Amino acid sequence: MSVAATNHLSAEATAPAPIASFRALRRNFGETIALADCSFAIEPGEIHALVGENGSGKSTLIKILSGILPQSGGELVWNGQVANFDNPRAAQKAGIATVFQETLVLDQLSVRDNVVLGLDHLFRRVLSNAEETRLVRQALDTIGMATLGTETPVAALSLAQRQGVTIARALLRPWRLLVLDESTSALDVDARDRLFEALRRFRAEGRSILFVSHRMDEILDIADRSTVLRSGRSVATLTRGQTSTETLLELMSTHEEAEAAEGAVAAKIRRAIGAPVFEAKRVAIRAESAAFDLTVRAGEIVGIAGLEGHGQVAFIEAIAGLRRPARGAVETERGAVTSFGNAARAGIAYLPRERKTEGIFAPLSVLDNLTIAALRRFSHFGLLAEARRRAEGARLIKQSHVVAPGLTAPVAALSGGNQQKVFLGRQLALRPRALVLNDPMRGVDLGAKQDIYKILEQFASDGGAVLLLSTELAELCLLCDRVAVFHNHALFAVIGRESLDAQALIAAMFGQAAAAGRQL
Amino acid sequence: MTLKIDRQAYYWPALFGFAILFFANFVANPIFVSHDNWRPVLLGAAPFIITTWAQTVPIMSGNGDLDLSVGPLAGLVNAIAAVTLPSLGLTDPFSMITIALGIGVASGLLNGFLVTIVRVQPIIATLGTFLTYQGLTLEVLPTAGGSAPPWMRVISGESFGVPGIVWVFVIIAVLWWLLGKTAYRRNLLAVGGDIRAAYTAGVNVTAVRIVAFVIAGVLASVTGLVFTATLGSADPTVGAPYILTSIAGVALGGVAFSGGRGGLLGAAAGGALLFLIENLFSLAQVSIYYIQIAYGSILLAALALNSITDRIRRRKAAAALV
Repeated sequence: MSVAATNHLSAEATAPAPIASFRALRRNFGETIALADCSFAIEPGEIHALVGENGSGKSTLIKILSGILPQSGGELVWNGQVANFDNPRAAQKAGIATVFQETLVLDQLSVRDNVVLGLDHLFRRVLSNAEETRLVRQALDTIGMATLGTETPVAALSLAQRQGVTIARALLRPWRLLVLDESTSALDVDARDRLFEALRRFRAEGRSILFVSHRMDEILDIADRSTVLRSGRSVATLTRGQTSTETLLELMSTHEEAEAAEGAVAAKIRRAIGAPVFEAKRVAIRAESAAFDLTVRAGEIVGIAGLEGHGQVAFIEAIAGLRRPARGAVETERGAVTSFGNAARAGIAYLPRERKTEGIFAPLSVLDNLTIAALRRFSHFGLLAEARRRAEGARLIKQSHVVAPGLTAPVAALSGGNQQKVFLGRQLALRPRALVLNDPMRGVDLGAKQDIYKILEQFASDGGAVLLLSTELAELCLLCDRVAVFHNHALFAVIGRESLDAQALIAAMFGQAAAAGRQL
Repeated sequence: MTLKIDRQAYYWPALFGFAILFFANFVANPIFVSHDNWRPVLLGAAPFIITTWAQTVPIMSGNGDLDLSVGPLAGLVNAIAAVTLPSLGLTDPFSMITIALGIGVASGLLNGFLVTIVRVQPIIATLGTFLTYQGLTLEVLPTAGGSAPPWMRVISGESFGVPGIVWVFVIIAVLWWLLGKTAYRRNLLAVGGDIRAAYTAGVNVTAVRIVAFVIAGVLASVTGLVFTATLGSADPTVGAPYILTSIAGVALGGVAFSGGRGGLLGAAAGGALLFLIENLFSLAQVSIYYIQIAYGSILLAALALNSITDRIRRRKAAAALV
C-alpha cells in the first residue's frame, strides 16, 4: 500500500472529516467504462447505502475500495490520506472489511478456519485456537448464528449459514468501514434483523457501513444516506428524509418502465389455461417431509416462494430432472421425469440460478450462446445450416429483447441483464412446453427485469407453462397466477391471484396458515 | 488441524491399499518382514515416499500447481553431492546438507516465481526446470560415478537397531506436523480450496504458492541426499523416473488434484504403495517394462478414483445445501 499524505489544510474543522471519500473515481476495462465519475463521502458513524442498477458501477467501486482492483483515475481518500490499496490485505489493514456478493467460503475447512481466514500471516498465527473459537462465536452471535458449530465443515452448511460465515469473517477484523455488497440476500429475516440491529450498534460506536442492496425496504429501513450510481456516475446522495422508493428508482433508472417495477402492478392479461404440462404427484422432498401434489398447466405462470433452505430449490430441481425427490414422481405427457435429459425431451427447459458458472459461455458469441442447446435443429447430417442458425439467432434476440452489438459479439461484452436474456433465449430456442426458472431476476437490472417479465408473459400467452422461483415477492405478485409457498421442505400453501400479495406470501413463508389464506 | 480418527478422511483408501500390498509382498516373500530386510526395504521406498511428499505440497495449493522437477532435482543434488562437493573439499555433513537444501530452496523459488509471478502454466514451467536440471546433471556427471562421504552411513546404515533412513522420515514428519501448527497449513488448504476466497479474505496467495514450491524443492533435495547415501555414489539417470511416481503417489494417496485436500500421511501411503508394487514385480521376476505399464495404469486408475470420490463429495455437499 502506498499512502501519500495530502496537504491537509483544513482550518475549518467544523464537520467531522469523512472516513472515506471518492473523488472523480474512474475505472475502465479496455473500452468498457465500468466507473465513469464517482464522487461521494462516507462519514464516520453512518450507514451509507449504495444504490444502482446492475452495471452501474457498484461492484467496481467496492472492488477498488477493497484493494481488488486499482482505479484508472481519480482518488480514493481514506482517513484523510490518498490511498491505493494494492491487495485486499492492505485494505483490511487500513480498516476496511468487505463482505462480497459471492459467498466465498472454503467447503473443506471448518467454520472457525473460514471465519479467521486471512487474519494470520504466512506462518505466524495471530490468535490461539481458544481465542479464535471465542471470537468466531461472538461474531456469529451478531447475526444470530451462535449455535453454529465452530468446527463444523462449511460443506455441511446451508447457503444462509455460508453467508453468515462471510459476514462473521468481516466482523472479526478490526474495521472502521464495513462494506456489505448484497450480503443479506441469502439471510433469513431473523438473521437479517439481527445484523441490522448490530449495524445500528456499530453506527453508535462511530463506525461506518457502506451497504449495497437491491431491496428498497432494507435501504429505507437502515440507511442514513444513500448514494445513487447510474452508468458509473454518482448522480445524487440523498439524506434519510429525501429517500423514498420512487426517488431512488427514478434516480437510478433511465428507463421509463421504472415506475412499473417493484411494487407497481402491471395490467394483467387473462390467459387461456390449458391441459396440464407437468404434475408433481405425491412428491416428498425429503424422506421425512410431507408429500404434496402440484399441477402446472399450459398458459399458467406459477410462482415458487419460500425462505432460504425450505426445499423450494430442491423441488424445482426435481421438476427439471436434476435430482430425484425422496418419494413421488413428476409426470409429464411423455412419461415421468427421471433425468435432466428426459425432462428436456418432455419439453421442460430449466434456467439455473448462477448465470456465470452454470449459464453463459463467456468467450463464445451471442449467437453461439443462444443456439448451443438447440444445435440439432440446424444440423444436416451433422453439419450446421449456418444461415438458418443465424436467422433463428436474430429471431431469438428479438424475442428475448436482447440489446447486443451483433450476433457475433462475445456474450461477455454484454451487460449482466442482457446476458441473462441471452441465457433465457437459449431456453426458448429449445421450443419448450414449460420453463422452469431458478430466480432469473436475481441481480438483474430493472430494464432487463421488465424485458424478462414480458418474455415470460408472452411465453405463457402462447400456451407455455412457467414455474418461476423468485426471491422477490413483488415480482411474484406481479407475474404469477398463483404462488406455491414452501415451508419445512414441503408445500405449505398455494396462494391464488385473488389473495396474492406480499403479506400473504410472507405469512405463508413463515408458516402462518390463517394469515396466508391457506389453500392446498 | 489435529489428527483425528475420521472415517471420511482422504487417506483411508491409500492406507487400505498399502495394507493389501504389504500383505501381498509378505505372501510372495515372507522374508520381506524380517528384521534384516527392514533397512533395504525402507531405503528402497524412501525416494518414492519423499518425492511423493514433495509433489503433494504444490498439488495441495491447487490452481494446477505441480512440480515436474522433483525427480530431476533429486538427481542433480545426487550428482552435486557425490561429485562437485567432494571435489571442492566440502564433505562435512553441515556444508553438504546446507548446500543441498539451499539448492532445493533456490529451485522452489525459481519454480514458484515462474508460476505465480511470470504466470507460466505450472506444468510447462516445471517441465522447463526439469529439462534444465537433467542437462545440468549430465554436465556434472556424464556417467555414473563419484562417491558418498563416510558420514552418510548415518542415513544408509543402522544405529541402535533402527535404520538411519527412519530418522529422515521422522524429521520430515515432525517438521510437517509443526508446520500444521502454524498458519501455513490453513493458508495452503484455503488457497488450494478456492483461491478467490483466500485472496479476498486477505491471504497472501502468491507467497503461499511459492512456499509450496520451496517445500517441494527442499524435499526433492533431501531425496537427492538419500540417493547419494543409498548408492554410495551418483547416477545421472536416477532422478527422472520419480516424476511419474511422485504424481501417481499423490493420486493414490487421495490428495485432490484440484487442491485443498490432502496431507503427508496419505501421500506416504501412496508413495509406499508404488514401491511395494515395484518390489512385488521384481520378486515375481517380471520384466522392468511391465512396471512402466503398471505405473501408467495405476496412475490412471488412481486419478479416476480420485475424481469419482471428488464427485461423490460434491454431490454430498450439494445435498446438504437443499
